[in-house]
Amino acid sequence: MRDFLELAVSAAASGCVYGLVALAYLLIMRPTGIVNFAVGEWAMLGAFGAYVASSVVQLPYAAGVAAVLLAMVAAGWLTERIAVRPLVERGAPVLAPILALLGMLVVFRESISLMFSPDPYPVPYAFGFGRLELGPLAGSYQSFFIIAVSLVVFAATWLFFERTLAGKCFEAVALNRRAAALMGINLARVTTLSFAAGAAVAGLAGVVAGANISAHYLMGVPLAIQGFTALVVGGVGRVEGALLGGLLLAFAEQLTIRYAPIPAGYAQGVPFLLLMLFLLLRPTGLLSARERSG
Amino acid sequence: MRTSKAIAGLACVLAVALVPAQAQETIKIGVITDKVGPAKPYAEPITQGVEFGAREINAKGGVLGRKIELLIEDDQGKPDVSAAMARKLVDSGAAFILSVSLTPATQQAQTVSLATKTPQMTPSNSGDTLTTQIDNPYFWQTGPLGSIQIATLLSYAGAKNYKRAALVSDNSDLGQLLARFFKSGLEKAGIQVVSEELISRGATSADAQMQKVRAANPDVLVSAGVLTAENVLMLKSYRQLGLKMPLLASYNFSVPVYMSVAKGLLNGVTFVDAYDPAKPEIKAFEAGYKKAMGREPFNLHGYGYDGIHLVADAIRRAGSTDKEKIKSAMQATNYAGIMGAKGMRYKFPAGKRTGFDPNGMVVRLYEGDRQGRVVHVGVGKY
Repeated sequence: MRDFLELAVSAAASGCVYGLVALAYLLIMRPTGIVNFAVGEWAMLGAFGAYVASSVVQLPYAAGVAAVLLAMVAAGWLTERIAVRPLVERGAPVLAPILALLGMLVVFRESISLMFSPDPYPVPYAFGFGRLELGPLAGSYQSFFIIAVSLVVFAATWLFFERTLAGKCFEAVALNRRAAALMGINLARVTTLSFAAGAAVAGLAGVVAGANISAHYLMGVPLAIQGFTALVVGGVGRVEGALLGGLLLAFAEQLTIRYAPIPAGYAQGVPFLLLMLFLLLRPTGLLSARERSG
Repeated sequence: MRTSKAIAGLACVLAVALVPAQAQETIKIGVITDKVGPAKPYAEPITQGVEFGAREINAKGGVLGRKIELLIEDDQGKPDVSAAMARKLVDSGAAFILSVSLTPATQQAQTVSLATKTPQMTPSNSGDTLTTQIDNPYFWQTGPLGSIQIATLLSYAGAKNYKRAALVSDNSDLGQLLARFFKSGLEKAGIQVVSEELISRGATSADAQMQKVRAANPDVLVSAGVLTAENVLMLKSYRQLGLKMPLLASYNFSVPVYMSVAKGLLNGVTFVDAYDPAKPEIKAFEAGYKKAMGREPFNLHGYGYDGIHLVADAIRRAGSTDKEKIKSAMQATNYAGIMGAKGMRYKFPAGKRTGFDPNGMVVRLYEGDRQGRVVHVGVGKY
């Protein structure tokens, strides 16, 4: 039981990271319909930003994270201006920006690969390398920190969509772009803000996960795959679905590795199996989006 | 009119005469590296070592009175691209090909060196199968084999009387290959592998794997992983979960990046290496490299440095760039480089094309966060 609860904390932390990446997808996908596979590279940029802020500029942790998030907002805005808006304005089909963003994925990765050596770089922990025991639960400081930060981000995002006018504008665009435009909602601004917010959330995932997995130039694609799987499992339309999908995926991964009587190599196929099962049996994911038209 | 025709004629004669002269000016050595793929962390410093070695050789007058010219190609760690790059290098007139990319890529490039009878060598790949799966008399391997790594670690561990081991690796091609050799080495030594774990590339936690290791209660944990970030993840879980058994690691732990990325986690970890910092040759290499390139080298640079020197040595003894003569000279190599334990020489035993002395590896210990002293040399009875 002790092992199980210890593993539950670790899996919950991993699940929250997947959930944050899934949320980054969702923030962009809901209002625009664009699947941005470069979110993993945004997470990589966040992790490298945290390394630079802590080890090069030597900022305190909170100031470093704030600086990284601001930089990520700028990166998201810039990505939208460079790779998406010119195509949308020319009336390109939705596949065009998806492909352009795949190109941006390569640009981000190779830029980092040129700026830094291919070795992993240390990303700071929020409260150092240590272990916390809360009753029967035990885990690293960083695991508890990741869980707490993710819950705050998901709660804030949920409140934004459900309780604020700006959030309702996003939701309106998600439900019906044309009607939203006719109601005076600025579609371009919503698109820009969705990219900026998506980049910030993905960057945050990179910052908090980077403390464990280190910052390196190949870290983006696995995170993008895990986040996308979490998104499909949880349901592509709901904020809480992203978190749920992330947690389900991480628990499936880690419980399989720990308890399933199968060779170690086979356990890595579990996420893909889960993805295929959901695509076949429940393509809307665990939580379905609200009714969408137009 | 007659004068201008004469000048034009003279120019033609000169041009014709100059072309072969220019072609003979340098000895072209092809290098297949990985600039963007998964082998980049290794291939980049090894290639820099090749470049430094070539620079040093050229500064001393080159080989057979000719300068070495490196033709460097990127295979992205992909076997098919590696073969295409090998073909490109042969077409460009390379007298020799050095492969410093992934083991499977080097394997695939051999199809070209075999077909074109072009000498090819890897100074760094450690897969045991490179010289056994294809009978290619034009290919040699001078990096320390995976089987030598585990034998050296076992020899070090021999006195400790371990009975039960846990083996952890990653899902890279090389990690899998090393895990296979490590497992077979452990079993041959009568050590039971009680837990076999794998950390996938891109994993966000290794807690589940380390929990399994803890539950299996082995005497020793052996790491065959070659992905640095995933090894660091494993190390973090190992410390977090309070595992106390000794950790014996593959040569991947010998790259100095661990000292910064795994700070505070390394004390007591033993790892196998082919680099003895106490050797005078290493001290001279480090000083020369730093002076010429402006930064400190480490063991991976040494593989490349020895690689290009081995090629230059073979061409020198061959007395020409004739590929058949180079092939014969290479097979007769007896050369002391900078890598390996004190006194180690590269040689290819009769019928073999693996040149790293089985007793040439060392075991080193992390003392604090520093890569410390050599605590063991060679494979002993293993």
